[in-house]
Amino acid sequence: MEITFAVLLWAVRIAFLILLYLFLIRAFRSLHRALTDERAAISARQLGIAALVVTRSHGGGPRVGERLPLRAVSSVGRDAGNDIVLNDEAASAKHAIVSFADGEWWLEDAGSTNGTVLNGSRIWDKERFHYGDEVSVGRIALRLERAQ
Amino acid sequence: MIRARPGARLGELRMLMWVAALLLTGYVAVVAAASGRFAWYEIAVPLAVLAVFGALHVFLVSIGFRGDQLLMPLAVGLTGIGFVLVERLAPALLLQQLTWLVIAAGAFAMTILIPRDLSVLARFKYTWALLGMLLLVSPLLPVIGREINGARIWVGVAGVAQFEPWELVKIALVIFFAAYLEEYREVLSKPPRRFGPIPVPPVPYLLPIVAMWLVAMLVMVFEKDLGATLLFFGIFLAMLYLATGEPVYVVIGLLLLVGGGFVAYHAFGHVAARIDVWLAPFDSDLRFDQGYQLTQGLFSLANAGVLGAGLGSGMPERIPVVWSDFVFDAFTEEVGFVGALGLLALYLVFVYRGMLIALRAPTIFLQLLAGGLSFIVAFQTLVIVAGNAKLIPLTGITLPFVAYGGSSLITNYMLCALLLRVSDITAKVRR
Repeated sequence: MEITFAVLLWAVRIAFLILLYLFLIRAFRSLHRALTDERAAISARQLGIAALVVTRSHGGGPRVGERLPLRAVSSVGRDAGNDIVLNDEAASAKHAIVSFADGEWWLEDAGSTNGTVLNGSRIWDKERFHYGDEVSVGRIALRLERAQ
Repeated sequence: MIRARPGARLGELRMLMWVAALLLTGYVAVVAAASGRFAWYEIAVPLAVLAVFGALHVFLVSIGFRGDQLLMPLAVGLTGIGFVLVERLAPALLLQQLTWLVIAAGAFAMTILIPRDLSVLARFKYTWALLGMLLLVSPLLPVIGREINGARIWVGVAGVAQFEPWELVKIALVIFFAAYLEEYREVLSKPPRRFGPIPVPPVPYLLPIVAMWLVAMLVMVFEKDLGATLLFFGIFLAMLYLATGEPVYVVIGLLLLVGGGFVAYHAFGHVAARIDVWLAPFDSDLRFDQGYQLTQGLFSLANAGVLGAGLGSGMPERIPVVWSDFVFDAFTEEVGFVGALGLLALYLVFVYRGMLIALRAPTIFLQLLAGGLSFIVAFQTLVIVAGNAKLIPLTGITLPFVAYGGSSLITNYMLCALLLRVSDITAKVRR
């Protein structure tokens, strides 16, 4: 009788410790989830600031090697109202659109006169735009790069 | 805006279930070990405690609160452990502690509801500084101030209730520093002049901070409370560092602390006594006198082992005033290394969560506020646990949420509510 009480008491004491740790594990898991969410939010913000790097240009255009930061949706063209302004007589006022959706970058012609060329071939549709791909607008060529 | 949304805050509710199980098991173990049996009616007290916790949850759900769901369960989990320990160490104080908990829950709810806009706190920053000062000097006043165990840090009416105002001062101090540093951190972090690696900000900008700090130090010398002085100094340095990112300030501050400690050791008897006890508690002059509390605490720790003596089976009651000064040693003796580690990990999660709330907060003021408040919990835990383990001199700081005591329970719940408010604002701004 005396022994069973002692055993019961120890069972309750061990249960207390186990519960303490189960509570802790749940707390840690919740904390970990919050941290991963925070990291995802930060990397999403960084993804949004990828850049186009100038690889070929001419006298009046941007410098070769210059980084032109991108937004979630950036318009490219000769007009000063574009997010990325390309001073080139072969570029249209509103030439192309670079956008970020579903975790990918996309390139689209905006009805330009001389066309948008992705990796050497003219595009007619909205195309996937990979890191390292090169787009030509008029005499200027730009490469998509990750944010630094 | 105020409407009940069923299904909200499920994460919090789930965590509260674990707290309930933890509190009930611990309470049963303690009562059964003390009396050799357990009657079902004795479960009334922990159920009353759980009812208060549940009421807090229902309150948050009913006002459509969007803030953090982990912080409150962590705080009440610690308080739950605190209740197990009060029942173990000072059952006579249990009902009084329950009363304090109800008041603390009220203070929590008021802090959640009343400042409709937290930036109002920043606008009245000098009011907070003044209020902090008044609270700080109030124990020195003749009628309401009183001295207990050699420290004149209490106000109250004899036989009715006493309160330690410095507990509230720490929150006022954090609000003041957060508001002040938000406004002037540019001047402090990028001052026009530098003396080698040391930034020299224009003196007028430093004056309010230094004045506030100096008064805090002086008052503390007269009130003979080492712990509060250390805490205020820690808050001051931590927030200066959070706001400016200048490690130089921290280094200078620590040097000042060492210098000040050296002067205080030689100038004030109560400081010297604390340090002598810390250096050699087993000295033949001290071990049955001023060192008695600490030596008994060390015996408690030594008795702990990996799994401890078992809840209710140790001898922590040998330590004088164990329920407010030495709860960590008492808990460790009975649940061992494993349990003590779990308790410290709970604080770790609480502080980490608080710092995460600070990181996400939308304005500098809210970031500094949440950072400073989280720092208080971390610092208090470190100082009292290290003091109990003879790593640093013992101070009168309480173990947050766990130790017996009304003032500390009430202020810590207000602190928790302020952190929750910051996370609520973040959630509402973000989506």
